[in-house]
Amino acid sequence: MRHAISAIFTATVLALNGTALAQAPQGYPADYAKIVDAAKKEGKVVISSTTDAVAANPLLKDFETLYPGIKVEYSDLNSTELYNRFIAEAAANNGTADVIWSSAMDLQVKLVADGHAAAYASPEIKSLPKWAVWKDSAYGTTYEPITFVYNKRLVPEADVPKDHTDLLKLLNAKTDFYKGKITAYDPERSGVGYLFCNADIKDFPQAWDLFRAMGKAQAKLYTSAGAMMERVTSGEHLIAYGVFGSYALGRSKKDPNLGIILPKDYTMVTSRVAFISKHAKSPNAGKLFLDYILSKRGQEIIANKADLYSLRSDVDGEATIKGVTQLVGDKARPVPIDQTLLENLDQAKRLAFLSKWQQAKKGQ
Amino acid sequence: MAELIVKDVALRLGDKEILKGVSISVPAGEVVALLGPSGSGKTTLLRAIAGLETPHQGSIAIGNTPFFDAARGIELPAEKRGLGLVFQSYALWPHRTVFDNVAYGLKLRGVAAEEIKTRVEKTLSQIGLGQLAARYPHQLSGGQQQRVAIARALVYEPPVILLDEPLSNLDAKLREEARAWLRTLIVTLGLSAIHVTHDQVEAMAIADRVVLLDAGLVAQEGAPTALYNEPATLFAAEFMGANNRLTGTLAGNSNGRATIELFGERLSGMSRTKAAAGAKATGIIRIERVRCASSAGPNRLKMQLKAPMYLGERWELVFAHENLTVRAYAPAPLNPGEHYVEFPPDALWVF
Amino acid sequence: MPIVVYRLLVLGVTTLVVVAPLSLVVYQSFLTAPFFDPSARVGLLAYSFVLADSDFWQAFWTTVAIAAGMAAIAVPLGALLAFLMVRTDVPGRKYLEPLILIPIFVSAVVIAFGYVVAIGPVGIFSTLAKDIFGFVPWNLYSLLALIVIAGLTHVPHVYLYSAAALRGLSTDLEEAARVSGANPFRVAVSVSLPMILPAILFAGVLVFFLGFELFGLPLVLGDPQDLLVLSTYLFKLTNKLGVPSYQLMAVVVVAIIAITAPLVFMQRMLLRQAQRYVSVRGKGLKTQPLPLHRWRWVAFAGIVLWLFVTVVVPISGITLRSFVVTWGEGVRLLDVLTLDHYRELTDYPNVVRGIFNTLGIGVIGGAVAVACYTAIALAVHRWNSGWTRLVDYLVMVPRAMPGLVAGLALLWVFLFVPLLSPIKSTMVSIWLAYSIVWLAYGMRLVSGTLLQVAPELEEAARTAGASDLRVKRDVTVPLIKYGMLASWLLVFLIFVREYSTGIYLLGPGTEVIGSLLVSLWGTGAVDLVSALSVVNVVMIGVGLAVAVRLGVRLHG
Repeated sequence: MRHAISAIFTATVLALNGTALAQAPQGYPADYAKIVDAAKKEGKVVISSTTDAVAANPLLKDFETLYPGIKVEYSDLNSTELYNRFIAEAAANNGTADVIWSSAMDLQVKLVADGHAAAYASPEIKSLPKWAVWKDSAYGTTYEPITFVYNKRLVPEADVPKDHTDLLKLLNAKTDFYKGKITAYDPERSGVGYLFCNADIKDFPQAWDLFRAMGKAQAKLYTSAGAMMERVTSGEHLIAYGVFGSYALGRSKKDPNLGIILPKDYTMVTSRVAFISKHAKSPNAGKLFLDYILSKRGQEIIANKADLYSLRSDVDGEATIKGVTQLVGDKARPVPIDQTLLENLDQAKRLAFLSKWQQAKKGQ
Repeated sequence: MAELIVKDVALRLGDKEILKGVSISVPAGEVVALLGPSGSGKTTLLRAIAGLETPHQGSIAIGNTPFFDAARGIELPAEKRGLGLVFQSYALWPHRTVFDNVAYGLKLRGVAAEEIKTRVEKTLSQIGLGQLAARYPHQLSGGQQQRVAIARALVYEPPVILLDEPLSNLDAKLREEARAWLRTLIVTLGLSAIHVTHDQVEAMAIADRVVLLDAGLVAQEGAPTALYNEPATLFAAEFMGANNRLTGTLAGNSNGRATIELFGERLSGMSRTKAAAGAKATGIIRIERVRCASSAGPNRLKMQLKAPMYLGERWELVFAHENLTVRAYAPAPLNPGEHYVEFPPDALWVF
Repeated sequence: MPIVVYRLLVLGVTTLVVVAPLSLVVYQSFLTAPFFDPSARVGLLAYSFVLADSDFWQAFWTTVAIAAGMAAIAVPLGALLAFLMVRTDVPGRKYLEPLILIPIFVSAVVIAFGYVVAIGPVGIFSTLAKDIFGFVPWNLYSLLALIVIAGLTHVPHVYLYSAAALRGLSTDLEEAARVSGANPFRVAVSVSLPMILPAILFAGVLVFFLGFELFGLPLVLGDPQDLLVLSTYLFKLTNKLGVPSYQLMAVVVVAIIAITAPLVFMQRMLLRQAQRYVSVRGKGLKTQPLPLHRWRWVAFAGIVLWLFVTVVVPISGITLRSFVVTWGEGVRLLDVLTLDHYRELTDYPNVVRGIFNTLGIGVIGGAVAVACYTAIALAVHRWNSGWTRLVDYLVMVPRAMPGLVAGLALLWVFLFVPLLSPIKSTMVSIWLAYSIVWLAYGMRLVSGTLLQVAPELEEAARTAGASDLRVKRDVTVPLIKYGMLASWLLVFLIFVREYSTGIYLLGPGTEVIGSLLVSLWGTGAVDLVSALSVVNVVMIGVGLAVAVRLGVRLHG
């Protein structure tokens, strides 16, 4: 009898603790618990993302610990595939993933502008920079400097470029040495690549000269940072242009051979944009996840375990907005998440860019 | 059991006309042999009766049940005709035991398991294979397999059993024994059967009536003795028995007797032709009717003995004269050289 | 049920399953926007865009060049190999035979990764060569290398058909030539070769056709040098306009099929021709192989060299890579050995799912597919009607669609038909795609087995009173059991090897090793890719070993 009572007692305490864990984080509105319960009933959250599964893993695991009972289904695709899939599924009234999280900021903004996002004011809005939230629908989740990456063993000390102008000079001076050894994102095949090129054009007056120099040096173009960095590490390529600082940092921890440069003239900063889909099958779970990755807990993992950069000013570490500001001061250029991004997508402009790019690839 | 009647059946395979209008009838309890050289259409006719080939003309019926009627557009599928068919290759299902092979037809007819057992065992013992019921076909000899094939066709008591050259796959020795056994079985069970074969001896031994087919048409039909002793056409005469062929000119033809002239000699024989004197003629005589004589005489030709051959129970003597070769049987060999070969007039047919 | 009903049912379902994706693709190509876009109108806009795109033509001519180059390499080598193995006394024939067929069964992406890791610019063998020669004497990232690799890996296809043809020939003619004084080489060139020419021609057309289907090799090897073939151009098109350009993709698909379909029909005609040259089988005489004398070991060395370059180099490359932490210039291999990558595989639920899914689709999916192929083959079996020709042609249609294209078409079908949407994110969609793509192959396997059932066995059952369907159930099917098992094994191997068909259908729940490999390679996770490739190779190796052990004839 006493055993039974103490058993029931223990069970109740555990259960209370269990629900206590699942209760709203501090500072959240009191009725957040309703969302949590609804999410638990939905049982899973489906995330469609461009963040490599490798990098996102610690985040997903922590989310599952925080909300036991909600399974994470995560698929990582490249930015174009993600966009295409989402559009197709939305149009087919098939239901889509719950949270769409992509580094192709312009495509994300377009999806939100086209009405595919569910408006949801996250309780975390007050802790985020102003440029990172649009219409309470699109949320920037990271603060990622776009860096140069190079192979420390094989690139002579004197060659290491400190900013964009240095790189341009280097490529023009030592075209033969670096022939085939430069790598960058492909704006033709990658939404991210396209975004980078257009941001460069805005911030760097000699952008097209740089592109031409890269063309002359027969730069190899890829659609993923991982592929680029793998080849820099192995020495197949020497310098990678336009690599997410997050990946670079993570990779350099494993490989001391990898050097990272935050260009001193300006460092583009992008942010992975997330929104909750209007056609989500588990909208409440989606809300939980979104809030989670914007929360301090989530951002700490983002900064320290997930090889991403945090955009919250209350998070410490190298991979944070604080850390970047320390390195480049006011030269950081975050790309704002708003309708200006939509200019990139105008078809005529796009085709015009692409044909000029084709010329630049040939060094013209 | 009723009579099987095939009327004027014509059948085309591809663009070749195999059967050109064949009619036969098989009264109850009679064994009919379909005899003919390869390509004569005998197997095709059998298959058409079974329903495995479709003619484009004619009718096939058993009693009042039509199997096929081109004019009325009736065609009963093979599985509904209820006939028994024994294949030349036996076609025993290798994945089934002897028992299951034989029982299949009964199983399809929804017969109760108990009854199947009784009937199959009875049939197997009738053909002498009672103790082999649990074996598989590959464990049996050729002769045993053939009997199983027959048992399979018999077990559901079909009105007619069709046999497609059932003895051709057996060795010569076995064939003669099997021939006897098969005839006894059919007669004992009182079955109607159609037996296809290219071997005229087998046809005559087994059947009550022989139907001789030549290139898709019936050349002659009748009792075995009639076919052997009174061939209506040259083809029939040559096909049955072992013969000698004499080519010459018709020198006279009246009252059932004809004279054939060759090498200056005149031979008198039975007339089988309506032609007039002067026409080409062929004389056919069975080897066993040819006599050897030592001197000249009526219906005799002078020939050289070329080679005597020993056949065991008799000698075969080969005579030649100019371009004519004649074979004869004799109990003992003759000396080489000239002899007189006699062709008895009532044994010589002139066509 | 009456057999007519069964036949029509099977015919109807097969037609639907084959024609639906194809018609959707063609329909899409004549629209101005993706078919689900409300603004889509019928028009030739997509065609004019694609046909005016210089990239398209570059990809087209590159594909033609590669296909022709492949055939030029594979056909002579394959025919030579067949002659050596079937007709001469090259040593070790018994052991070499199953090894020769390995390239057919290894996934092209795995082979491509293997080459990159082994002989890429900083590959394991390349660094070795650099140490010895001071420079790397080859360039993996060139059109020539791509053609050479594609040619060498397709030698087994030519070998299969040439060897089968050679085996079907009576040796009298060759022996007559030898007695007249011709040495083995002359015999090969002047007697054997002309007699198996139809088979060789067929194999040549087949390899040329396969050149249009190439996806894995150009994806991995052509990518870094901007070398596009039609299939990778298709891949690239997804981003051309920044928004889904399904209509453009549809045009490329139509272009691909416009070329491959006639090739498929040509193949069929050539196969018929080739079969006429096969003389009466089963002579049963043990034929004397032609002695090569001092060339024996040269020939053996040649075969081993080919095997080395085509199989050992890439597979050892990828295996080694899966056991090292990092590689490249200046890295000592022995310092960096590890099992971590394999452990890492278990950290990713989608990878783990992918492994189980691949096993599942191979074993279960393969069995169900064989059952379906058998059902269709049985419907056509002994059916004397013009409809069988329709089935013949139907079965050839998916053959003309490269896997990548078929997967895409099926994705669109699932999007187009709301009824089917629940199965889109399950393995059923993958199974459907695979079964359709390999329809012709599977049918050929099963039909071959059916042909071995003597018609009399079925006729005997009919005369005993069994209806047509009953005959098939009681007689035909039990007799082809072993053949169906062998087909299942071969289909297992093909399904496990697959990588391109599932790419567009990839999502949580539909991961298979092949498409995961492509996706992971794109993100640069080479560690995972190597480990996963080795898992795939092991799966296939086990399957192959079982097949060889059971004496399954791998000549599908």
